[in-house]
Amino acid sequence: MFKGSGFFAVAAIVALGLSSQALAQTQGCIVLKSVAEVEQVSINAKGEKTTKLVPAGKVVPGVEVTWTVTANNTCKQPSEKVTINNAVPEHMTYVANSAVGPGTDVTYSLDGKTFGTADQLTVQENGATRKARADEYKNIRWVFKDSLQPGAQGFARFRAVLN
Amino acid sequence: MQSLRILGAASVLALAFGLGSNKAHAVGAPAGTVINNTAEVSYTVGSVSTTTSSNLVTVTVAEILDVTVTAQTPTVGVAAGETQRVARYRVTNTGNGSETFRLVMNSVIAGDQFDPVPSATPIYFDSDATPGLSAGDTPYVVGSNDPVLSADGFVIVLVVNDIPASVVDTNIGFTRLTADARTGTGAPGTTFAGAGNGISGAVDAVVGTTGADSAADTSYSVSGVTLTANKTQAVVDQFGGAQPVPGARINYSIVINVTGSGTATNAVFTDNIPANTTFVPGTLRLNATVLSDGADADAGDYTATAPARVRVALGSLTTASGPQTVTFAVTIN
Repeated sequence: MFKGSGFFAVAAIVALGLSSQALAQTQGCIVLKSVAEVEQVSINAKGEKTTKLVPAGKVVPGVEVTWTVTANNTCKQPSEKVTINNAVPEHMTYVANSAVGPGTDVTYSLDGKTFGTADQLTVQENGATRKARADEYKNIRWVFKDSLQPGAQGFARFRAVLN
Repeated sequence: MQSLRILGAASVLALAFGLGSNKAHAVGAPAGTVINNTAEVSYTVGSVSTTTSSNLVTVTVAEILDVTVTAQTPTVGVAAGETQRVARYRVTNTGNGSETFRLVMNSVIAGDQFDPVPSATPIYFDSDATPGLSAGDTPYVVGSNDPVLSADGFVIVLVVNDIPASVVDTNIGFTRLTADARTGTGAPGTTFAGAGNGISGAVDAVVGTTGADSAADTSYSVSGVTLTANKTQAVVDQFGGAQPVPGARINYSIVINVTGSGTATNAVFTDNIPANTTFVPGTLRLNATVLSDGADADAGDYTATAPARVRVALGSLTTASGPQTVTFAVTIN
């Protein structure tokens, strides 16, 4: 027979159990994968040039690296307000206009806090305001306009040159 | 006997110093640098918001092999027969990792008029505090003290040649310094797996746009101003003839011609009064200007004490000065 606090304690435990179950269900819904690749040019038997992306292990300064992020929804519910964030890697410079992501709005940040489009970001220099340059971007953000359905994959990519 | 002396003559030499204008810069990220990157995604399921990270992606920076040699003294003015003439170069590691370089000099280069002759020790490092070749500079011995340069590091190298005696004014002779990376050279993009030096150990080394070797030439330019004197005489005797008899007068005319490039500074013409003759006072002239016999402010003077001679200061002469004519007369004793 339960009395007073005991009953509440049980209820509390049950309530907690339900919450963590809910949390466990949402955590890990999206599995995020990132890969860095470089373009490899090959000439086939016909003498035609083809390029393909291969993993970038060791890279030489001056080479362009393609970063691809994929978000897979492994849950039975859709994910809303999906936003991918990627800092521009150290020792690398973002290639202007290279950020792509079907169904996303792309914005950038110079400080990791305030985000805007390429046209919105400005810098103060010598007492005047000017548009920020692509090589000054520190972060890139892709905001998915629609929810990510169960089993669906979101895709984001950008390129940066090794300094 | 006449003589032509050039006091303190100096040819104007075309020396061009690369004062900081020949600097080359290395590429950025140091070899061996490890670049880590992780992406993040934030999303909402129902009422619960979550942020999760991707896997860690690592990219390692390979060593790029690049070198640049620049001539610090692109043209060096020289004279025939000179020895130990120095050409100065700057060798810069324009790659992104520490690298050893081999140096080679060569004075047999096509397109010039003479081959400079390499000194017995043809390459030095300008290693002491005195710029240029001096006693404290270290000789380069290939394979023994090949320079090791960090990214953006450089060394000043001196190449030493002698000038053949047979060269003439305006001749040019090239001397070349070549540097190449010991890890490897070749077409840009050639990879030497694991052969590079990174900040955290061995990395791949990849040949950069310079091919990991570089050369620069210096021109030894022969430029010497030369004065030649051409003396003629005319005998006028006291009877209206031209017999060289005692009492007859000899009129001397000396034309000094200037050839070559540069300036002969403080040129002085001196001519001894011939034996058995006596200088005629007041006959000394330079380009038709009468010069007083005494040593005074004008350009000429006559000294009677043995060896008796006339002397005329010609000033600084270039080919633009034109021929200078000195005249004076003596009588036969």
